[in-house]
Amino acid sequence: MPAPSPSFKSKEALQALFRPQSVAVIGASTAPEKLGYQIFKNILDAGFPGTVYPINPKATEILGRQCYPGIDAIPDQVELAVIIIPAPLVADTIRQCAKRGTKGAIVISGGFSETGPEGETLQGQMLQAAQAAKVAVIGPNCQGVNNPHHPLCASWPLLTRRGGVAVISQSGTVGAALMDWAAQEELGVSTFVSLGNRADVDEADLIHYFAQDPHTNTIAIYMEGVKAAPKFLEAVRQCQKPLVILKAGWTPKGRKAAESHTRSLAGRDEVYEGVFRQFGIHRARDLEELYDFSKALSHLSPPKGRRLLIVTSSGGSGILATDMAEVTGLDVAPLPDEMSQGLRAVLPKHCIVANPLDLTGDANAEMYRRVVEAAAAHFDIIALIFGDPIPGASEVVGTDPLQLVIYLGGAEVERQERLFFHRKGIPVFPTPERGIRALGQLLR
Amino acid sequence: MAIAIGKAIQEGRNLLEPEAYALLAHYGLPIPPHQMVSSAEEAEAAAANIGYPVAAKIVSPDILHKTEAGGVQLNLNDGGAVKAAFQQITDRARQGKATVRGVLISRMAPPGTEVIVGVIQDAQFGPVVMFGLGGVFVEVYRDVSFRLVPLAKRDAAAMIQEIKAFPMLQGVRGKRSADLDALIDLLLNVSKIVEENLEIAEMDLNPIIVYEKGLSIVDVRVLLHQKTPTA
Repeated sequence: MPAPSPSFKSKEALQALFRPQSVAVIGASTAPEKLGYQIFKNILDAGFPGTVYPINPKATEILGRQCYPGIDAIPDQVELAVIIIPAPLVADTIRQCAKRGTKGAIVISGGFSETGPEGETLQGQMLQAAQAAKVAVIGPNCQGVNNPHHPLCASWPLLTRRGGVAVISQSGTVGAALMDWAAQEELGVSTFVSLGNRADVDEADLIHYFAQDPHTNTIAIYMEGVKAAPKFLEAVRQCQKPLVILKAGWTPKGRKAAESHTRSLAGRDEVYEGVFRQFGIHRARDLEELYDFSKALSHLSPPKGRRLLIVTSSGGSGILATDMAEVTGLDVAPLPDEMSQGLRAVLPKHCIVANPLDLTGDANAEMYRRVVEAAAAHFDIIALIFGDPIPGASEVVGTDPLQLVIYLGGAEVERQERLFFHRKGIPVFPTPERGIRALGQLLR
Repeated sequence: MAIAIGKAIQEGRNLLEPEAYALLAHYGLPIPPHQMVSSAEEAEAAAANIGYPVAAKIVSPDILHKTEAGGVQLNLNDGGAVKAAFQQITDRARQGKATVRGVLISRMAPPGTEVIVGVIQDAQFGPVVMFGLGGVFVEVYRDVSFRLVPLAKRDAAAMIQEIKAFPMLQGVRGKRSADLDALIDLLLNVSKIVEENLEIAEMDLNPIIVYEKGLSIVDVRVLLHQKTPTA
């Protein structure tokens, strides 16, 4: 079937959405409980580098900024429009925006295809207006865009931490949760995009764009179904960066829920499984995996092989890690004699020199350092489990060979050390199982 | 091959089993020795010619599920059994008001490991190849793997290895490994058949019996799109 090759939104079109010079917030509000207020405030508070125009015919001033009655009242060109007004007004508004040079619109408003046939018609009219005026649209029915590298927070909550993972989500909240976790851990994201109903810009356009984006090294997607299979597959084929996807709706009832949420065709899960494997997509089975896999792929390089040494201060954690390593296809290989002998000479007598290597509860950072030094020549990966408050942990971990850090049961010291690790770009995982599962994604 | 498919579409039906066998043979796939017959006497002669034991199967454009319609008899060991089978199968089909094109006499394949290969149409992704082990593995455990057409060799190998029952093919309890290379070839050829014949909507090769060396496709169904796809 010589299908026409799919065309993606151009880089220029999408840059208007992610890196605009000016923004109009249409439906900006003076009422703090309204989204129109919160989004306007977030754009200001995140430190948007260009001009921001609030638009509301009933207000004269919002947060100290002069308010305009309509986009046509703005004296200058406006590159991006963020639209938070009732659905029936959106198509016309986009036409007016185009006259002001607008290239991109983020439509937050709901009331479109997700609500039934009337909304479907409104969405069609909006899309027609946008296409005629060459305006790229994200949404409708979405939670906006947050690009902390610009910065542009046309979304909520206000998050500004910069990182390397692009988060693309068909659910606003699911994407925001991921971004929130990343911010709390001081890892951040490269950009967050809430797709909403995907009337215009879809996940394939975004994979294509973020595959070229210099701030993005990994793409994480929450989806309920692909919008257009050939375009999606072409984008994936061209993408050289790791792509992690959480595909929801994998049971019959989940599938139905997905179809009513964003009108996605959720499809047969076994087919998705096959497609993901065929195209090298990392499949996350839940939100934690989506977060953990992206975190690992964004920060760690693939190891040279599968030989894994587990070093721990917690016997139990070492066993949990070993179990997960076994089912993940890692080789928890015995220690070579010369390595065991060397370590017995420098470690306290009560340490169990085996694999897992148990330094026991009075372990300190120096002991970990000695083990890493001795193991470097014999193992492809060293998993370091800090199972107690171990000050200075972040000072003994390097990158060659690949080192995976798991930290648990360390309370305040742990929380402090985790941030030290993250500032150095070394990801820390909260349980042995989550850490090893994420590690497994680096092995394909 | 295009001719048989075109003719079937013209007649508004799917491929008859002898036509489906011919399609597979055209792509070099191993099918059992078989002959289409239209009388009990012809059936007996065909069986003697092919060699016992044989199977007798109804050939009718109206019957999709032959076994359920009483249209299949297996392990027939002599002429008397073959003649009786012909009579019973055709009688039953006519009772069900089905058009009878004839009966297919084919050589029974020796026992081995049963697998299933199918092609389905996914609403979004288009033609997809399915692989699984026969019997309870597919029906009860849904232990199957899928890949989009066209398959690359590594896809074919991976879809065989990723089913949970893969150890059954590697050989358990003293049995030798099944011919995995032959299976990979089969999957690649099925993918090629679908790629080159856009009229094919679905295929069901079930069962396929795999041996230490080689395999045999015992039963095949090919469903056609009843209009030429425009996309």
